Amino acid sequence: MRKLICIFFTTLILFSCDPKPGDIPIPMETYVPVYASMSDIQQISVEPEKATINAGKIYAYQNYIFQNDLYSGIHIIDNSDQHNPVKVAFLSLPLNTEMSIKGNYLYANNYTDLVVFDVTNPANPQFIKRVAGVFPPANQEYPPYTNVYFKCVDKSKGIVVRWEKQNIPTPNCRR
Amino acid sequence: MKKSIFYLLLVSLFLCQCQKDSSSISKNSGSVGQGGSLARFAITGNYLYSVDENQLKVFDISNAADPVLKNTEDIGFEIETLFPFKDKLFIGSATQVYIYSIEDPAKPKLLSSAISPEVMRRCDPVVAKDSVAFATLRTNGPCGGTQSVLAVYNIKDITNPVQVATYPVGEPYGLGYDDDVLYVCDKQRGLLLFDISHPYQPTLINISINDGSYVDVIPYQNTLICWTTTGLILYDITNNRNPKLIKTVD
Repeated sequence: MRKLICIFFTTLILFSCDPKPGDIPIPMETYVPVYASMSDIQQISVEPEKATINAGKIYAYQNYIFQNDLYSGIHIIDNSDQHNPVKVAFLSLPLNTEMSIKGNYLYANNYTDLVVFDVTNPANPQFIKRVAGVFPPANQEYPPYTNVYFKCVDKSKGIVVRWEKQNIPTPNCRR
Repeated sequence: MKKSIFYLLLVSLFLCQCQKDSSSISKNSGSVGQGGSLARFAITGNYLYSVDENQLKVFDISNAADPVLKNTEDIGFEIETLFPFKDKLFIGSATQVYIYSIEDPAKPKLLSSAISPEVMRRCDPVVAKDSVAFATLRTNGPCGGTQSVLAVYNIKDITNPVQVATYPVGEPYGLGYDDDVLYVCDKQRGLLLFDISHPYQPTLINISINDGSYVDVIPYQNTLICWTTTGLILYDITNNRNPKLIKTVD
């Protein structure tokens, strides 16, 4: 019996010295909700040219090249001088990823809405029209994947506009 | 690239669709621009098509300033790309390619989902030219397979592509062609050029171009527009076999 107790305590001591894996948070792949308010999303503006952050899809129209900057807008590049293309403006368009142009009209997504710009002067797009709610919103409860960790949604922070993959130590939700 | 799938290039859109535009009479008769292989938006004629995760949407843009949502089609799951070719829409998803007829452009009609994953798997960008289609079959990540290849298909019967050749490549993404030269983005080996004057037997052109990490290309007039992970790289392709660096735009 004594022996048993001895073993028991020895084991206890050994285990207590052993750092448990849970003690040191290991960053793990987690889906994190990105929040925004409807007024943020609809904040559209034409800004001076700026550096590309997350290079996205490309589009060519007449003497211009357009490049999406992931989830933030569209870089407008004047290619009239094919030996010296220059960025001329940035169309700030929250959550944009897609674009297409026909006959001086630019069609683009702005979260759940289709928006139309007159690009007769491509360096200065003019907002023309919003067709609301034609694209699906992000899932407000969980990321669109299974067997993944994610950060639980805090609805007080606004609406979830997308899910971003990050490495964080303590994801608190799983599905 | 967890949900990355079947990347379809819009290149053929311009070659095929310009013709269509010029022959059709409409209020909205302006020219259409040119997109890249990851596009989920595409314009053909007086219609803007878009795909999201599950659905195809059809917008009537006859009145360009006032698009009207005409139709919504449930397609499947994890829809990624949209590729108009002649009077068809190729819609790439995680598991298969759906082929819709747009003979009636406002009402796309499912013709087939016959392209098996064995023939054209997910993660495969495609460009089509006449009766030949080129696809890059990338094997890293969730896409499966053992060797990434450039694959060549006979698409005389568009609903039943037949693989006729393959060429081993590194880690391929988008692709596009200008006349008899095919440009393939390869994250390991750079920008690869193939001679496609015999389209069913492409041959690698011996040239090394590696100025960035290439994702996609649009051959546009005399310029090759390359999307790289940091922005754009533009090449002069007046001689399409020998691209000359114009500028990096980051």
